[in-house]
Amino acid sequence: MLKRNWLYIALLAALIVLPYALALVAGEPLDKGVPLFGQGLMVQVFIFAVFALSYDILMGHTGILSFGHALFFGTGAYTLGILVKYGHWSILAAVGAVIAIAALESLLIGVLSLRVHGVYFAMVTLAFATVGSILVEATDFRDWTGAEDGLHGIPVPDLLNPALHRTEFYFLSLAFAVIVFLLVKRFVDSPAGRVWAAIRENEARAISIGYNTLIFKVQATIIAGVLAALAGALYALWNLSATPLTMDVSTTINALLMTIIGGSGTLIGPMLGAGVLQLLGYFLNTWLGSVWQLVFGLIYVLLVLFLPFGIVGTWRARGGSWRAAWSEQLGKWRGVLKLAKRR
Amino acid sequence: MVNRNLILTLLVLVLLLALALGGLGASTAASVLLSGITLGALYFLVASGVSLIFGLMDVLNFAHGSLFMLGAYAGWTIYTNPRLILNTAPLALIVIAGAAFGGIFAARFAVPRWARWLAALIAIAILVLAVRGLPVDKLVAMGATMTGKVIPTSQAEEPIGAMLVRVGIAFVAGLAASFAMSPRGRAETPSSTRRALATAVVIAAAALAILLLRDAGEQAILGMENNARFVLALGFGAATGALIGALMEWGLIRPLYARPIYQILLTLGLVFVFDQVIRLIYGPAGAFMDIPSLFAGSGNNCPSPDLFAWFSQHCDSILVLGRPFPSYRLFIIAIGVVMLVAVALILQRSRLGMIIRAGVQDSEMVEALGINVRRVFTLVFALGAGLAGLGGVVAAPFLGVYPEMAMEFLLQAFIVVVIGGLGSIPGAAVGALLVGLARAYGDNIVLAGIQLPGMTSAISGSPAIARASTVLIMAIVLLIKPTGIFGKKE
Repeated sequence: MLKRNWLYIALLAALIVLPYALALVAGEPLDKGVPLFGQGLMVQVFIFAVFALSYDILMGHTGILSFGHALFFGTGAYTLGILVKYGHWSILAAVGAVIAIAALESLLIGVLSLRVHGVYFAMVTLAFATVGSILVEATDFRDWTGAEDGLHGIPVPDLLNPALHRTEFYFLSLAFAVIVFLLVKRFVDSPAGRVWAAIRENEARAISIGYNTLIFKVQATIIAGVLAALAGALYALWNLSATPLTMDVSTTINALLMTIIGGSGTLIGPMLGAGVLQLLGYFLNTWLGSVWQLVFGLIYVLLVLFLPFGIVGTWRARGGSWRAAWSEQLGKWRGVLKLAKRR
Repeated sequence: MVNRNLILTLLVLVLLLALALGGLGASTAASVLLSGITLGALYFLVASGVSLIFGLMDVLNFAHGSLFMLGAYAGWTIYTNPRLILNTAPLALIVIAGAAFGGIFAARFAVPRWARWLAALIAIAILVLAVRGLPVDKLVAMGATMTGKVIPTSQAEEPIGAMLVRVGIAFVAGLAASFAMSPRGRAETPSSTRRALATAVVIAAAALAILLLRDAGEQAILGMENNARFVLALGFGAATGALIGALMEWGLIRPLYARPIYQILLTLGLVFVFDQVIRLIYGPAGAFMDIPSLFAGSGNNCPSPDLFAWFSQHCDSILVLGRPFPSYRLFIIAIGVVMLVAVALILQRSRLGMIIRAGVQDSEMVEALGINVRRVFTLVFALGAGLAGLGGVVAAPFLGVYPEMAMEFLLQAFIVVVIGGLGSIPGAAVGALLVGLARAYGDNIVLAGIQLPGMTSAISGSPAIARASTVLIMAIVLLIKPTGIFGKKE
């Protein structure tokens, strides 16, 4: 157990030590200067790691291509924000509500959209997500969502305030990421997870064996949706606000990017991808200014063209020849896209 | 089968019409109807391309809304500020010329993989060098060419000598790029070399001509009669869309036919890239485009009492059942109908259309029959993208130009093709009409407000609600018939 997972454990240990190491190296206390900033950066990495991981359940493990994942992230952020700020709910109750609402939402969208396959699904989920972002930006609900300015000033107890208790928040989000990772690993290795893999590889065969694939796909959508919403809720807590950006299509593209950078279907890959993307994004932003988003988009396009299996996917393929590993991966992907093509 | 669907659709339409007519007065109903058809015409211009491209090559182009936006921006730019295009087009053209010229030599070498990468990096570096410091912001400056706000040409433009240096550097970048993408294992024949040389010379000459005549060109375009300039903008927008579409298919989509899912990922990424490029050049705010004078007349006789009177008066609006309706929107409808007929004629009556229809059925078989399907793919992509670009320019005087129009029209186009069925042009037309009418009717309801019996005041909302509510139609269609009205069974 220890021997097989030493890499994971070393990574976790490094992340636990990180704030203190930063404090030691920079010679500043934990709640000031570089350590404070470094922890803040890492908190975002953890939040987006969970978001990317939830996306990987769909894209990498069940072979569902969703372009509307930001909808759930935004739902989490806005639900928490509205309930805590205007409903005066406690954080815990609000998180419970986030889970319930996200589950319902993903059930509804899953049942509606999973009647179609492949590209149709991508298209339909994008449409639903766009509706979400139109609605949160609509002036009609300004009192609740703040329209295009977003919802600001979510009141949280001091203990959870990221500005006051940065280190606590760091460990909270780290714990969140680790727990979700273990949970998803459990899901993926469970019998249901094997069915997901079967659907990804060849849905027609899974059906002919006797599985009701729709149920399993809806199940995957719900789990992914709830986890994404939880990540969104934590993001709202972190920023003390919920902005239309959380529902924007660029947030979905971010999740896609993280998954592709890390390697889809590898669980740890998307989380690493989130780290790479967030840190790279930060440095590109300070270096290039507003052009960085364009550079980002170009990097994405190049990755799709030239490095489709990501860091972890390519790393794992290093045993055999790269070409063989790639063509195996390609075969995997071919099953994914059950195009609605005429027979 | 199709007949039953047609009847079903017509029934739904009639029902919607009855609803619209029932609640509103006849003149309001007519104007809502016409508004709906106007929107439908625009949706058709985007959705038909999406549908056609998917039908033939199974590529769902998420960047189609972006092509619409790019067309709108291109048309608007040549209409109001041709200086920007006259000063940047030579650079883009000369890179293509350089690539064509370099291709003649590059094809003679077996360029190893690492050298390709190196060449690509060098090309990008040289290109950055070539455009570095180009005063784009001055060229873009809003209203640069409007009276009273004129930035003198000498200030906005680089001196001709500096531009020539830039063009020279860009040519070298093109040469480097040709080595990065030289085809492997293709025998060069004398005739193909001659063709490449001719292409390079023609494009380079065009680039230099544009550069040297840029001031005269600016004067000429701005001095053009307003309507002629608008026609130029229409052509330019459509050409820009077609060119970008063709380049997209050739350079980005084609290498990925073996990995279909990555094509979608790629086009989604392009949505983001195009959006950022436009924001970078023009800024996040949108702009308005003047309605050409043919549709902007005003005076004692206006609004024109009927369509025939309009032909002599060119009023900005025409009376429809006693209520003025903007004549420009009727022009949008006309363009939509003309394009529908044109696409139908191409598909049904031309040799290309025959190949396309056969390709939709079974593209491998068509290829086996000795037809260069890849070239047809590029052509169809360009055709669909050109329609979208044209739609963008047509929409510009009506809706303005702004970066978000890409996502907005992509969403509506998707709803349209889901309703009509992917791959079907009649489906796209019917779907577009349906969504357009629903939007217009929804806008009308939302703006006027709903007052149910027993309510003290009407609930009204912003147009955003109507925009979002069209998705409801899609959800209903998905529940009843997941493949759309004209879609074939999976």
